[in-house]
Amino acid sequence: MSQADNPKRNIAELENIAAKLRLRVVEMVAPTGQGYVQQGLGSADIFTALYFAEARVDPENPNWEDRDRVFLTTAHNTAIFYATLAERGFFETERLSTYCKDGSQLEINASERMGQFVEATCGSLGQGLSVAVGTALAAKRQGRPARCYVVLGDGEMQEGQVWEALMSAGAWGLDNLCVILDFNEMQCEGHMDNVISLRPVTDKLESFGFAVQDIDGNDMASILNALDAARETKGKPAFINANTLVGKGVPALEGLMAHQLMFPPEVAENAIAVLKENLS
Amino acid sequence: MNQAHQLEKFEAADFINRTHRPIPRSYGDALLAAAKKDKRIVALTADLATPTETDIFRDELPERYHNVGIAEANMIGLASGMARAGEIPFVHTFCSFATKRCYDQITMQAAYPNLPIKIVGFLPGVATLLGVSHQAIEDVAIMRAIPNLVVLDPSGPEYHASAVDAALAHDGPVYMRLKRPETPPENDIVAKDFRKGEGILAREGGDLTIIAAGLSVTEALAAADRLAADGIEASVVDMASIKPLDADLVIDRAKATGAIVTAENHSVIGGLGSAVAEVLCDAGIGLPFKRVGLADRFAEGGSTPYLMKKYGLDSTAIIKAARDVFGKKG
Repeated sequence: MSQADNPKRNIAELENIAAKLRLRVVEMVAPTGQGYVQQGLGSADIFTALYFAEARVDPENPNWEDRDRVFLTTAHNTAIFYATLAERGFFETERLSTYCKDGSQLEINASERMGQFVEATCGSLGQGLSVAVGTALAAKRQGRPARCYVVLGDGEMQEGQVWEALMSAGAWGLDNLCVILDFNEMQCEGHMDNVISLRPVTDKLESFGFAVQDIDGNDMASILNALDAARETKGKPAFINANTLVGKGVPALEGLMAHQLMFPPEVAENAIAVLKENLS
Repeated sequence: MNQAHQLEKFEAADFINRTHRPIPRSYGDALLAAAKKDKRIVALTADLATPTETDIFRDELPERYHNVGIAEANMIGLASGMARAGEIPFVHTFCSFATKRCYDQITMQAAYPNLPIKIVGFLPGVATLLGVSHQAIEDVAIMRAIPNLVVLDPSGPEYHASAVDAALAHDGPVYMRLKRPETPPENDIVAKDFRKGEGILAREGGDLTIIAAGLSVTEALAAADRLAADGIEASVVDMASIKPLDADLVIDRAKATGAIVTAENHSVIGGLGSAVAEVLCDAGIGLPFKRVGLADRFAEGGSTPYLMKKYGLDSTAIIKAARDVFGKKG
């Protein structure tokens, strides 16, 4: 299927899906305080674009050999990841209520024991990109059309292995690899610039041989355009620096640097009310 | 805006504390106290200040504290440079990343040069919600195999200050795996002592001996209580020092009780159970023996009681093993 003809490229429809997924994120995390609200709200637009407009995946046949591979290398960003997968039809939405509970496969860090739609278990940060590069290289060698998408964390880029992987992807010119940096500027101990700054990340990536785009990661049209441009780029891997806002969609939470937010019930109720208003 | 400001106090960024109440920082307080006495002590963390209790150090001694970012291998190299310049670095992250992620670096830049680098891990064994990536089930096995390295597995926060002392008393590299309480303890934590190379006889009984470490010591003591109710008297050894191991105490208990169970929050391969078996075999002692620990398999994320039960690490599993070895004594 040509992406240009994809009927799913309806921005209003996609934005509504993103709004629904944001609501699910808060509903999943609020009862127990387990999970990552701020990151989930911030990256909802990226996940929506990837799973509902871009990636060729088939929930009926998750092990399809020619599927596009989507790697969540920040494996802890599971509230939004599971909400997206459920909405896309990979499993029943009811299972979301088991999130982080004893015995549930919906663990706080995504595990591939759930199925092949978790392409690799990446809770140990910095490892996923290498696996994606290997997958992209194998797809090239085998003549498969599969593209490899990586949702990479910014804090994760402090791991040296990420740069080994980037260097190899650039050197090999893997144009079937598209790295999307969820640049929310937040890590455990706060703002990245107060820990080890990543700036200027776009210059770094350009020098590593990537076709780099710098976009508003909370703007659906920008994300779709960037994915289009990435797909059309030949001879180079793509790097989309998606600048995202933590807590996006809930004014009281927007910009609040809280890696693990255990919010009180009234704040959760307020967030749920605000997000419900946004649903059309 | 006002609401956002109020929310900041609910930021946990902690991964361990599951309440909105503070938990005592036995380790963090002890490290800070030691650092105030010894100016050579510096602290590093790989983006985990609060979960490793080093936010106190960060706030009080910022010039001797570095958050190196999510970069554990680099952290070991940095610590090596600092140690070679006469400092005593304590490096902090979760056990899984403190060991497996930078094993080669530890071997070559801490252990081979025998530098006073103290590697402090949190989240030992299976006991975390965070899943396989964060579960250090083989850290003792691999760290024990490194020459020059001391391995400590204290049984609770009451021993954390002593662990700092033990680490400083050893003029070389140390690995310690520490388990923080998940909820505020009901009573004040009263510090207790242990020393490198010495086991603690936590309970004395003549029918068998349970040798435990870390989180498993509490389970072993609970098991011993229930066994006693059925007339089986078990000794319990808290083997906080896994390397060097208190071989004399192992042999003494083997001879005195004639049966041994080991219990650890770790794989049954290569950890405390293996270390005890090595001592017994080397001494030519054959006796009924069982290891309680994670069978040769991966676990999953979950609450600590759930995981301890599901993966056969709890007091019930220890009791079963104890009855088995006791029955074989003949």
